[in-house]
Amino acid sequence: MDFQLLDKILSSVEKPARYMGGELNMTEKKDAELRFALAFPDVYEIGMSHLGSRILYNVLNMREDTICERVYAPWPDMEKALRENDMPLFTLETKRVLKECDVIGFSLLYEMCYTNILTMLDLSGIPFRAAERGDDMPLIVCGGPCACNPEPLAPFADAFLLGDGEELISEFADAVLAAKRQGLSKQELLVILSKIEGIYVPSFYEPVYDDNGLFIRMERANDAVPEKISRRVLKDLEHAPYLGKPIVPYMSIVHDRIALELFRGCTRGCRFCQAGFIYRPIRERKRETVMEQARALIGCTGYDEVSLFSLSSGDYSEIHELVPEIIDEFEKKRVSISFPSLRIDSFLKDDLEKMQSVRKAGLTFAPEAGTQRLRDVINKGVSEEDLLRSAKDAFESGWNSVKLYFMIGLPTETEEDLLGIADLARKVSELFYSMPKEKRGKGLRLAVSASSFVPKPFTPFQWEPQDYKETLIEKQKFLRAALKGIRGVEFAYHAPDISVLEAVFARGDRRLADVMERAYQSGARFDSWDEHYKPEAWSEAFETVGIDPSQYANRRRVPGEALPWGHIDMLVTEDYLKLELKRAHAAKTTKDCRKGCNGCFGEKYADYCKI
Amino acid sequence: MRIIARFEKGEAVRFVSHLDIQRTFQRAFRRANIPLAYSQGFNPHPQLSFATALALGYTSEAEWFDVKLAEDMAPERFQEAVNAVLPTGFRILEAQAAEEKLPALTALMAASSHEVDFILPVSLSAESVISAFDAMAGGEIFVEKRTKGGMKTVDIRPMLLHYSFSQTADSLKLSVFGVSDAKGSLNIDLLLGALSDKIPGEFSYRVHKNTIYSLDGRVMPQKPVFAC
Repeated sequence: MDFQLLDKILSSVEKPARYMGGELNMTEKKDAELRFALAFPDVYEIGMSHLGSRILYNVLNMREDTICERVYAPWPDMEKALRENDMPLFTLETKRVLKECDVIGFSLLYEMCYTNILTMLDLSGIPFRAAERGDDMPLIVCGGPCACNPEPLAPFADAFLLGDGEELISEFADAVLAAKRQGLSKQELLVILSKIEGIYVPSFYEPVYDDNGLFIRMERANDAVPEKISRRVLKDLEHAPYLGKPIVPYMSIVHDRIALELFRGCTRGCRFCQAGFIYRPIRERKRETVMEQARALIGCTGYDEVSLFSLSSGDYSEIHELVPEIIDEFEKKRVSISFPSLRIDSFLKDDLEKMQSVRKAGLTFAPEAGTQRLRDVINKGVSEEDLLRSAKDAFESGWNSVKLYFMIGLPTETEEDLLGIADLARKVSELFYSMPKEKRGKGLRLAVSASSFVPKPFTPFQWEPQDYKETLIEKQKFLRAALKGIRGVEFAYHAPDISVLEAVFARGDRRLADVMERAYQSGARFDSWDEHYKPEAWSEAFETVGIDPSQYANRRRVPGEALPWGHIDMLVTEDYLKLELKRAHAAKTTKDCRKGCNGCFGEKYADYCKI
Repeated sequence: MRIIARFEKGEAVRFVSHLDIQRTFQRAFRRANIPLAYSQGFNPHPQLSFATALALGYTSEAEWFDVKLAEDMAPERFQEAVNAVLPTGFRILEAQAAEEKLPALTALMAASSHEVDFILPVSLSAESVISAFDAMAGGEIFVEKRTKGGMKTVDIRPMLLHYSFSQTADSLKLSVFGVSDAKGSLNIDLLLGALSDKIPGEFSYRVHKNTIYSLDGRVMPQKPVFAC
């Protein structure tokens, strides 16, 4: 590493702290037998906010034989500077170039980050395609929620790690280290990896398409590799390693606080929500454990905010004991508490008031749909009454900033459902202004946000079409008009282009790798950022490769047809998803599985779930 | 009680911004269990202020902060406790108890000194840099300055109090004394930008802040008298 040149580059880019490293609690190792680059294909402030990779950083660095170092996608100004100076991308810890690492592990949190993976490989002089990388090149692996449909990235990765990473990553590291010591070839290592539960080696599988280009089946290279690759489940969350002494960034990051993970998995079964299905079953940490972690983490970071983290923190069995306990213990240290999102039916006034006593943050509710019928379709078991009661509680406790999250383009949606969104917003606004002035805050800030529905694999809606872009734009306009004149409302929505692209990659097959590479070559980067998104790069790439994106995004799949992710087993059975789809179309709800088993794992994995 | 401290911003953290430094110290205080005093009001915050904001990329041994504590604490113990938890690159070099009625740090400041380390291309001799600087300092030094009313051309020569060069076989260093008070400071980047405009060939440089002076020697060392 040419440090004088690095110096010059860092002086010239925006937010050099993104590439600097040296933060409090960073690993002090300089080298180890196994060099693992934990790569996050987005910018530092987003990557550092991701709990999962922070856990893996700790797990890997706890091993004496391993050094785990971070690397993030360089912002376009840094990419340019690196290219102009002919400098490869490097890790934050020791400024090691990626080529000199044994493993590069990418976290896949969002489909729209995929092109950044190519940037990171490109800047490291590493060939994109696994088939073109020799034994001298690092092993490229991917994990995280988007790995549940690995196919669009399959040609680029050597392996995918599916499911909870805490144990799997260590088994993986053991295998790689053993192979390194024995001097095995990459091919020999991949054979070994393919036998570990939760590891998918895509080069041992070959997709087959029909004459119309539709995926029809996956063929195995040989019988030694499993027909279905099932994800790993961490059974004992309570005793699993957590964050250790987490890094405290200098620059402010998106989630700049301590995350206390209350539980993994979710029992609600909202039918649009991939996380709700792929992280099952529910596994809680005990309140004492959470408190212990809170003490240790506040002590070693100095953060003044903790966040109660999970897919639905209001559902935590001991939530009404935990919130006051945290406040009582940490109030004198001026540590405040926040929830990443709230379910509107699960929160009580007392807790709100206690939260209020430390610091007032915005409150977020997610009714997701505007009418009871559509909320039943998506199995979002909350009612208008729930929302209004919670809003009233919040207003009475002094809150005057509330966010309402909705989705548009949900299956079976009609105009009435869109009007229902405006109707709910109006009722919340009227509720606020009908309260006596001395009992509420001054002015209401009611942020209504409407994102576009993206059908995701392993949800009951995995067969559903997404609305065409034009329809989504129409709906946004319609909703904007309907919300006009409601006091306090600010309307926000997402660019539909990006939702469509997300839908394509979420349910894509292996041929999309060509599209991605092509779009990358034409400059596609940071596609989820409006200022960087290049629609021409994508439309040109689809055209050149000869792929119609609407085949992926807007086509209704027939339950029973082969799915590109069909060889991946996320434990919830396809039969259960089909049943849920049927219930959705009949607007029938399914109960929260804390209230009794709904049988989502079928026979095979029934014992994975203790509920 | 009130504590005033001087700290170092080292090599490893020279790209940490001013806002991030404030946060870094607040977190360090919490880790060290320092009993901070908080402001009253709707959103209480610790009463912590800094003398100046160091330019991004500079190192310094003359950064000052002023903090209020809710309980008394020996300054030496304060220094020791905070240093034990500060990240590499930051270090408190001295801490002193201050009277409540002492003016704010910005009001005490009068001047500062910086050391500039030139990194010259082969095509550029140290002598040519020195003579260009001498020539520049012989008259007015006009620079474009961003102000509230947009870009403005101002003469910064009056802010330059004293300078001297030192030269070895492979290095060229410039020591600069400049005005640095509540009304404004000599901007080293602008000064060297003006120099760069007068020289063919591009040079780069590193800046280290040595000292902040006060007028009367209270808290900070007393400003020297310059003959230039």
